[in-house]
Amino acid sequence: MSLEIQIRKNIGARDDGAVTVNLAGSLDTLTAPDLERQLAPVLSGPVKDMIFDLADLKFISSAGLRVFASTRKTLREHHGQASFVHMQPQIQEVFEIIRSLPGVAIFKDEAEMDRYLAARQQSHAE
Amino acid sequence: MTLELHATPEEVMRAVEAFQEFVRVQQIPERTAFGLALALEECGSNVVKYALGGIAQQKFKVSFGCRHDEIFIELRDPGPEFDPTAWNGSSSGAESEEAIGGWGIQLVRRYMDEIRYERRGKENILRLSKQLKPEGGEFQKAQSKQS
Repeated sequence: MSLEIQIRKNIGARDDGAVTVNLAGSLDTLTAPDLERQLAPVLSGPVKDMIFDLADLKFISSAGLRVFASTRKTLREHHGQASFVHMQPQIQEVFEIIRSLPGVAIFKDEAEMDRYLAARQQSHAE
Repeated sequence: MTLELHATPEEVMRAVEAFQEFVRVQQIPERTAFGLALALEECGSNVVKYALGGIAQQKFKVSFGCRHDEIFIELRDPGPEFDPTAWNGSSSGAESEEAIGGWGIQLVRRYMDEIRYERRGKENILRLSKQLKPEGGEFQKAQSKQS
């Protein structure tokens, strides 16, 4: 199973400093390096928040978790954050087993995420 | 079924995909099948990276099947002796390099019922198994080592 990666900059009311990354397929020992390569130029830019939409992610292994961990570390250095939305139950279970990304924001849907990002923007503005 | 594989990530995923097809035919529940495939991916990746040093010409073997009410996966490699069941790193969830390095074995332990390691001649043999029971509940982890 391959991994489809779509990276798009969020423009509009939600959060101009955010990037959404849609992942579909399998994030594993073969595909994780590709995700890392595609994220590298984005992470070297002004991005603060990165939202991973995992609605179509069917499989993940520790190779994929490592990419998320290194992304989170980079974003934290920029006072940003990685968030995860639409996580499938089997993917969420892997996160829970590892407790790999303590403190990351995990949302069940976009409405919940929007409320969170709006509150976050407001706190930055104050 | 036994597959002979080169030491590359592509070959690890070839084994995982063959295994996923096997569990689909066997009508293994989706959640169980996911954990088994994940365990195979983690152990296969470790063989490629550490036991065989990512040297693509090196080969290892993966076997899997069902026996009675058990599904098993066996990996055999000719690398240096290494017993992954003896790994006792941090499980705190912290993002230290040590903890991250141990995520794979933590996942394998969580999803499998039994992990057996044996050094036989010049081969590492890792056998993973999981009981298949209708109730599908969690089982006591029984890790053991044969030397």
